[in-house]
Amino acid sequence: MNLLTATATWLADPANWTGAGAIPQRLLEHVGLSAISLAVAVAIALPAGLAIGHTRRGAEVAANLANIGRAIPSLAVIGIILPITAAIDPQLGFKVYPTLVAMIILAIPPILVNSEAGIRSVDPELVESARAMGMGEGQVLAGVEVPVALPVILTGVRSAATQIIATMTLGAIFGSGGLGRFLVEGIAQNDDGKIFGGVVLVAGLALVIEALFALAGRAATSPGLRRIDVNRQGSLGVAT
Amino acid sequence: MRLSRTLALGASMLVLLGACSTGGGSKPTVKVGSVGFDEARVVAETYAQALEANGYTVDRAGIGLGDRKVLLPALETSKIDLMPEYIGSGLAQGYGGTSTTDPAKNRTDLQTVLNGKGGGITVLDYTPAVDTNALVVRKETADQFSLKTWGDIAAHQADLKIGLATDCPTNPVCAKALKDVYGIDTSGATLLAACSTPMADALKAKTIDVAELCSTGPEIIVNGWVRLEDDKGTQPADNISPLVRNDLLAKVGDKAAFEKIFNDISAKIDTPTLAQLYYDVAVGKKDIKDVASAWLKAGGFVK
Repeated sequence: MNLLTATATWLADPANWTGAGAIPQRLLEHVGLSAISLAVAVAIALPAGLAIGHTRRGAEVAANLANIGRAIPSLAVIGIILPITAAIDPQLGFKVYPTLVAMIILAIPPILVNSEAGIRSVDPELVESARAMGMGEGQVLAGVEVPVALPVILTGVRSAATQIIATMTLGAIFGSGGLGRFLVEGIAQNDDGKIFGGVVLVAGLALVIEALFALAGRAATSPGLRRIDVNRQGSLGVAT
Repeated sequence: MRLSRTLALGASMLVLLGACSTGGGSKPTVKVGSVGFDEARVVAETYAQALEANGYTVDRAGIGLGDRKVLLPALETSKIDLMPEYIGSGLAQGYGGTSTTDPAKNRTDLQTVLNGKGGGITVLDYTPAVDTNALVVRKETADQFSLKTWGDIAAHQADLKIGLATDCPTNPVCAKALKDVYGIDTSGATLLAACSTPMADALKAKTIDVAELCSTGPEIIVNGWVRLEDDKGTQPADNISPLVRNDLLAKVGDKAAFEKIFNDISAKIDTPTLAQLYYDVAVGKKDIKDVASAWLKAGGFVK
């Protein structure tokens, strides 16, 4: 059977849309696990990035750490973490936690680098005038730097989110839920429709998330900055 | 002077080469392949070394290439010429046939299918060794529930988390056989790659209590796990046969002598031998080439 036909047939089959292990359940699992990983990564990387960008201290260390983080393959992280977490919790520690940790490590670099670069690239005169007006450091960061840098910061989060959605599929090798199950099972079951149906779902989800972040980025751009090319600002960060 | 000497050397080499290709019969390069796991790779390596001992050049790029989904098309399209295959699973999973517990029937049925594939593929003699799908439990689980057979699993399935191969839901000898013959519900099973490290890790970590592993799997011995008996004989006989492309057989000159190389090897691979080869590679961490050559030397196949 033709690949396109096989994929369309699989996606159109009502049996794949209801019940345990069907598309809605896998999609929810995928979104849920991705959201948790992204939230944890933001909670770690965003404060660190803001602090480094604001104080201009530790930028090189952060950049190097981020590069190391990018260089570690997620599959290797899962393999290293798995025996440790599985010893703590035989179920989630085997099927879920290793993938979550790998996704958090994957997502930290773009968020860290972009939030640091975004804050650092705020016009120094703007920051100085804020200080001259009597703003404290916290107020400068929250009231001036973050609003100006927000589109760049969001670009980092967006990049992290799409990477997570694509790479989360690896977890299925170790029995995790999510859309990766269709890829792993499709390969083992010699079912092209299932494999490429899964690919379409993962890619589609990534595109939807991209679009949502693009909208959020536009909304988050301070009216005073609208005339500046947001795309150019977005390219300040390494990841796009 | 120097030029003429070079020419003379070149000419004599050409003569030598010519002598090789005519006098020795044609000895084509043989592209050997196998699926990715250690047992299949070490068997493929014995084929490769036996070929080299008989004067063939071997291309090993296909050894450990991937799973059946990758490998069988590679064989059909001549990307590889020769591979070891588990005839029961090859028939059932590779080509949708019905495999049985009778290896002779599996071979005949697989041969019938392969006659029409990739210009014709021949199934050579199979090994006495059988590597079949095994259901394995930890020792303490076996003791706790007095598990001896697959039927015992059915009686305690509410208390046991089952791990099965990823292809199980659509594999007729897996989910369907477990349900129809034993009454074991596999819908909640954890699916992991067949005969893989994650499957063994999951059993070790108690993520699952019952694991589907290969019966020759070294981790069963290493961990002192208990293999339960398929008392109703649902699993196909997975003896190993070399699959060879017919166009290669047509090129080798003495076809009977070529086939004898493999038939002699297969005859010597019984189940303990296969398990030992697998163990030496997977647990002993010995080099696959060393394991294969030591075995071939011990059996008198190579000097």
